Amino acid sequence: MPNLYTPHAMVIREIIPETPDTTTFRLQFKDAEVARAFTFRAGQFAEYSVFGEGECTFCIASSPTRMEYIECSFKQYGRVTTALRRLNVGDIIGLRGPYGNFFPLEEMEGKNIVFIAGGIGLAPVRCVIWNVLDLRDRFKEITIIYGARSVDDLVYKRELKEWADRPDVKTIVTVDPGGETADWKGEIGFVPTIVEKAGLRGTDTVAIVCGPPIMIKYTMPVLTAQGFADKDIITTLENRMKCGVGKCGRCNIGSVYVCKDGPVFTYAQLKELPDEF
Amino acid sequence: MTPPGKRYRIGPGQLAAFASALIADGYVVIAESPDGKGFTALKDGSAVAPDTERPPTALSMKDIVFPRAEPVFLYRKTLDDVQVIDPPSPPRGVVTFGVRPCDAASIQTLSKVFDWDYHDELFDTRAERTIVIGTLCRFTDDRCFCTSVGLSPSSTKGSDLFLLPLDDGGWILQIVTDKGSRFVARCLSAFSETDETGEDLVKRYPGPAVRFDPDRIRSWIPANFDHPLWPSLAETCLGCGQCAFACPVCHCFDLIDEADSFQHGRRMKIWDACQFPLFTKHASGHNPRDTQVKRYRQRVSHKFFIYPERFGEILCTGCGRCSRGCGVGIDIAEIVEQIEKTAVAESVARER
Ligand SMILES: Cc1cc2nc3c(=O)[nH]c(=O)nc-3n(C[C@H](O)[C@H](O)[C@H](O)COP(=O)(O)OP(=O)(O)OC[C@H]3O[C@@H](n4cnc5c(N)ncnc54)[C@H](O)[C@@H]3O)c2cc1C
Ligand code: SF4
Ligand code: SF4
Ligand code: FES
Repeated sequence: MPNLYTPHAMVIREIIPETPDTTTFRLQFKDAEVARAFTFRAGQFAEYSVFGEGECTFCIASSPTRMEYIECSFKQYGRVTTALRRLNVGDIIGLRGPYGNFFPLEEMEGKNIVFIAGGIGLAPVRCVIWNVLDLRDRFKEITIIYGARSVDDLVYKRELKEWADRPDVKTIVTVDPGGETADWKGEIGFVPTIVEKAGLRGTDTVAIVCGPPIMIKYTMPVLTAQGFADKDIITTLENRMKCGVGKCGRCNIGSVYVCKDGPVFTYAQLKELPDEF
Repeated sequence: MTPPGKRYRIGPGQLAAFASALIADGYVVIAESPDGKGFTALKDGSAVAPDTERPPTALSMKDIVFPRAEPVFLYRKTLDDVQVIDPPSPPRGVVTFGVRPCDAASIQTLSKVFDWDYHDELFDTRAERTIVIGTLCRFTDDRCFCTSVGLSPSSTKGSDLFLLPLDDGGWILQIVTDKGSRFVARCLSAFSETDETGEDLVKRYPGPAVRFDPDRIRSWIPANFDHPLWPSLAETCLGCGQCAFACPVCHCFDLIDEADSFQHGRRMKIWDACQFPLFTKHASGHNPRDTQVKRYRQRVSHKFFIYPERFGEILCTGCGRCSRGCGVGIDIAEIVEQIEKTAVAESVARER
């Protein structure tokens, strides 16, 4: 009996080491039919699996404007992410999805966009960055602020350089104090501090903020002080998930199912939720 | 087809003969197990007659439509490929006898969540292939509260057919759904149609007195997430999850892999419970529900606020299983009563 928990087979085409504990996989559907039928929107996630180990939830880190492959970037934590790191190019993993809601790209058109990310939080943001850059003329000024604990912990290093080199994007990369190397040319400081220094203006601007809870917590007030309305600050939640389709009951925050109503939420929506994320 | 609503008289002994005939025809006939722990498939029809003077079984009938563990797929790995194999199709022709109203009602409730957007074909198929023969419940103890959540010992919600036990050992069989009607069409010739409604019988078993009004606590919960009442309600809870496993409508599950060898294995859908500490723990170590108080609040919220909000009904049939089985004596009805009392007192205080 085929059912909604059956994954598609994906072939690992490329493995890109990002940091000592984070890896990017470039994946292709084994079945060309399935590949043709697969569509997604920036911000959606999928359930990835290693057969015999289990499933885990990652966002789709590649852009829907580039459908030749699907990419995910993951940090090694437990059983499945450790098993994923042992795989080689050509190996098969499972994928179910795409699930969840997405960033309101249409509503963001004609506005300035500020991307703010910390650590592995750049993965979901990177999907939107490429989506926006591939449709560059629909948006006004684009600013990217990205921070990690140390230079070693920065993900997508080659793309950070590519964005920094583009005249139509303002890119600021920072590392936490003490995380810099001798030849580090970027900023030094925590993300909220750098956001404060960046002198953003909240008018006609949408901010997309993803990162560890502590970064989100201290960045939000800075954005508010810079004039961002709560509805123009958009983030994603990472409540633990299993089914991804509103059945297993794991991801509830009050009456919200993060896997169905999220993972993308505005700051205005977050303020309405009980403190269970 | 006999329209729903018609009633038939089943003589003493005829029910067992009916069940035996079904078994002979290849049906899987299920009834409460003699040890009272759950439901079991019968080898012959002699023990099919439900005895609803006994307490409800420790585990509900949800195991039949939502098994405690079932494969969602099997896999076979070779060095450079993986084959995903569909799990076996659920059994056809399952007939469950003697289901109490507080169990039968659960199927419709469960199907709301398994079907609200994405469809869980495994649940749907099992539910579709199961005939539920409900029965008037003649048991009440101080844990029962079906009448506080809109049910009663004679409610037919979720039943395809419904049995009323007559004093002479016979039964009135009521046809409730079209599905039930199609199913019994073949054997109705053995039974005679009757005008008896069994009303006096139903009156004899009114069930427990109404204990609370769930509507009163529904809006209190989200507005009082951090209320000091919560810690006092369930501070003794062990987080063992018995309550969720016994419950006919708790539906949380996990998806885990079972490998037999490097080559073979399966992904299993298994019961899980929001009462377990690891249930919501992130890989990073962060846990949004890091105390048992928060986890118990989730249990009550899900049943009396979240589910009603999302699916328009209460996630509780008042069967009392969770309370009967709880090792530390936590009684969900008492907890709801306390919340109701607090909610009413607070609203009176506000109006003054
Ligand atoms: C919408 C969303 C998007 C995400 N996107 C990304 C992303 O792009 N990149 C990324 O790196 N991460 C992402 N995550 C987080 C990611 O899902 C987890 O890091 C990942 O699932 C860890 O899996 P694991 O198997 O390695 O860890 P596990 O071994 O499953 O450990 C994870 C948790 O399970 C618990 N656990 C361990 N063993 C047991 C057990 N026997 N029983 C019960 N619980 C147990 C642990 O306590 C731990 O908290 C995302 C999460 C969500 C919800
Ligand atoms: S059965 Fe009782 S102790 Fe166990 S989790 Fe439920 S309420 Fe807590
Ligand atoms: S919560 Fe308790 S009383 Fe309500 S249906 Fe579940 S087991 Fe029965
Ligand atoms: S992840 Fe299962 S309900 Fe949201």
